Amino acid sequence: MDTLANVAHGFGVALLPINLLYCFIGVFIGTLVGVLPGIGPISAMSLLLPVTLSGTPESGIIMMAGIYYGSMYGGSTTSILVNIPGEAASVVTCIDGHQMAKQGRAGPALGISAFGSFIAGTFALVALMLVAPKLAGIAIAFGPAEYFSLMVLGLVVLTFLTQGSMPKALLMACIGVVLGLIGLDSITAQPRLTFGRMELIDGIGLVPVVMGLFGVAEVLLNTEQVLKRDIINTKITQLLPNKADWQASAGPVARGTLLGFLLGILPGGGAVVASFASYALEKRLSKTPERFGHGAIEGVAGPESANNAAAGGAFIPLMTLGIPPNVVMALLLGAFVIHGLQPGPLLITQNPGLFWGIVASMYIGNLMLLVLNLPMIGMWVQLLKLPYNILFPLIILFTILGVYCSSNNVFDVYVMIAFGVIGYFMRKLGFEPAPLVLAFVLGPMMENNLRKSLILSQGDLWTFVQRPISATCLVFALVLLIAPLLPTLRRKRELVALDEGA
Amino acid sequence: MNNDHNVKLRLGNSELWGGLIGLALGGFVIWQGLKLKLGTINDPGSGYVLFYTGILMCVFAAAIIVSAVTEGGPTLASRWENARWTKPLLLIACLTAFSFALEPLGFLLSSIPLMLVLLRVIDPVRWTLAIPVAVLVPSGMWWVLKRLLLIQLPSGMFGIG
Repeated sequence: MDTLANVAHGFGVALLPINLLYCFIGVFIGTLVGVLPGIGPISAMSLLLPVTLSGTPESGIIMMAGIYYGSMYGGSTTSILVNIPGEAASVVTCIDGHQMAKQGRAGPALGISAFGSFIAGTFALVALMLVAPKLAGIAIAFGPAEYFSLMVLGLVVLTFLTQGSMPKALLMACIGVVLGLIGLDSITAQPRLTFGRMELIDGIGLVPVVMGLFGVAEVLLNTEQVLKRDIINTKITQLLPNKADWQASAGPVARGTLLGFLLGILPGGGAVVASFASYALEKRLSKTPERFGHGAIEGVAGPESANNAAAGGAFIPLMTLGIPPNVVMALLLGAFVIHGLQPGPLLITQNPGLFWGIVASMYIGNLMLLVLNLPMIGMWVQLLKLPYNILFPLIILFTILGVYCSSNNVFDVYVMIAFGVIGYFMRKLGFEPAPLVLAFVLGPMMENNLRKSLILSQGDLWTFVQRPISATCLVFALVLLIAPLLPTLRRKRELVALDEGA
Repeated sequence: MNNDHNVKLRLGNSELWGGLIGLALGGFVIWQGLKLKLGTINDPGSGYVLFYTGILMCVFAAAIIVSAVTEGGPTLASRWENARWTKPLLLIACLTAFSFALEPLGFLLSSIPLMLVLLRVIDPVRWTLAIPVAVLVPSGMWWVLKRLLLIQLPSGMFGIG
């Protein structure tokens, strides 16, 4: 009964006209960045992070969440029609989705992708409602040692899943930790790595770092090549899948939803891993695996459901533990912090309107997305024809304005440009920025919890091993660190390695 | 992979350079950690985490260097092969010039030329479209931010904007 009352309260918040407007803006922008190749949810969310300052915390976070799950819907459109993934989680959809479009079945491919996403998104929200409050209750018992170990695990999982060599990803994570520690020490108030610059006393802002690494660097990389698009020109008809399509897709949607949700909860995991895992699972379970890669609808239904369920599941560690499981959630944590809120076990009890309002808005957002992505598909197809030579300068201008407005400080614009250039060279040399950003956010929290646990245990390092949750996290982290040394596991890692930046 | 593109102990090995930069950064972080004082394990000081993170950075950088020397890696030139490298270079030059011009010239006088150059540099947009976009978009954004949202943008020495 409590849950029902809370959901009703949440709908009361989400249905406020201003929140409905922000929700619509979020899912609209999410679909937009999902549709446009080259710009992902990370770039869009970092671009709009300063905008959240202008409204209430509920409105800002509802909008940011909308961008994330909206991009999961939009990404499939580009994958199916253009054979270029709109964002990283839709890479797998290209394989069978574009083949279906080439065979004149773009409508059912788009239709099953939208319906699958809707079903998975709805399931993830119901599960989020049921799981989050219970997990928050358990999380109250977490001490600094558990938090530290959980964050270590999150970082190790992300580095394990990042493209390229593991030492490179781990080096990036270490650099992220160091960057996160710039500014005043939270315990002794001693300035660190500030080099006498007053602007660095409060540390480097998340917004300029992320906008530089993902926004500016992405544009720099994209300008290197002539982006060609092979858009399916036939008129898209019959968006509703037929009975045979539904029969073939029911299993993949159900399995993708469950798998995606579970992988979404895991720290370091997320929508990209979920979509790859679902595709592999469907291919393995299929009686006719040879159809995969040649327009099998199961290859669209499973991954698209999985990535949406994962997007919902990823909110659980953030909302209940205050730990972002991936870079997108790290940005959402940034939005919470901007408003002086700390997500964690107490958020649900102390700020129920915010938590349940966000959950309820996600229901509404999913409905909006269904309308945006099916009847209005023609509009998104037209948008795919927008020339990049106009789009890229606009993105640069918006990033400059976004960074400046977030702090009213020209220094942040310099930081963003510097990180844009660094991010470009990093990518060229095969260093992925995702571990750096997650470590940048987690770094200060990790340091704080490490020092607290050492002070509390009077310097006894066994405190991390004697506590079962902490020990389990550290064992998992250790296994993942050792795994790439074994040839079989190394090959497996290369198969699931992902590019979070897209 | 072509042998010219995969080299081991050569200065052009991009992996080697990546590792060396990481090693230098790690060394710098260790030094900064030591400068800030490590404290004790019972009461870690401000440099404690920095110091150990620096050590980890050196370990990972060393692993990259070892892998670069034993397995080889792509050359720096091959990383930019078939890429229009002049485009990002021009873009970086534009952004650097913009960052120097922003405070003295103000938002409008620096962003309009930036937009115009970007529109003409990346994949040239025709002048009849580039000029209106370069003028109207920054002006529109300036108007919305300054007049509607009351956000103060840099106005520079001429007080424009």
